[in-house]
Amino acid sequence: MSSCIIVTPLIIAGWPVISAAVTAAVGSLGYSIVVPQLGVSTAATVKTRNRAEIDIDDSEVLSETGSAGGQIVVERAGIRAVFTRDARGALKLCVEGDGLSKLELKKIGAELIGRVTQQYAYHKIVTELQQRNMSIVDEEVTADRTVKIRVRNL
Amino acid sequence: MAQEELEIEIAPDGKVTVTTKGIKGPACMDYADLIARIVGREEHREKTSEYYEEAEQIERHVDIKQRR
Repeated sequence: MSSCIIVTPLIIAGWPVISAAVTAAVGSLGYSIVVPQLGVSTAATVKTRNRAEIDIDDSEVLSETGSAGGQIVVERAGIRAVFTRDARGALKLCVEGDGLSKLELKKIGAELIGRVTQQYAYHKIVTELQQRNMSIVDEEVTADRTVKIRVRNL
Repeated sequence: MAQEELEIEIAPDGKVTVTTKGIKGPACMDYADLIARIVGREEHREKTSEYYEEAEQIERHVDIKQRR
């Protein structure tokens, strides 16, 4: 028998896991991680830019003891995207950019969130299946950036 | 005998599609449930054409036996 299911990932993890997913995702989109500098306010530099905020409803950033939390900032050619944990504990993305409309910024943000979700889902699936003695026998990334994996019981 | 496999596709928007291959009986649905639990919220589930092909073969087999 065979079946097919479609699942929407829920991002429920501590900040270190989310940071790892962001780091893995943004490179392929041409972003680089910005290391925060002490005494430099990120808010002050973006006053004149358009800004779009996106709440990621299917997410929960778990607060862990010893986790710094905070934010992850990524940049690409005039676009700055900041991942944070909102007051409800969900993941939030704020995208700012010169000369771009709110709609364009939202589209850029949605692409970023998609890739982060993809990386999170990939690592979660691979880790959990390996713990259940299943192994990946084939893996490929297609031209449209879909990740395909084939898994078998050991 | 076909190898038991899961084919997993993770789209650029994060959506996960899992197809089970060669897994007989309720275990097929168990694997689907497992992935749904690991990943998040199930949006859609269906039995593939392979499911119906195999179901048809079983029916034919039963039919032949009954004629004897």
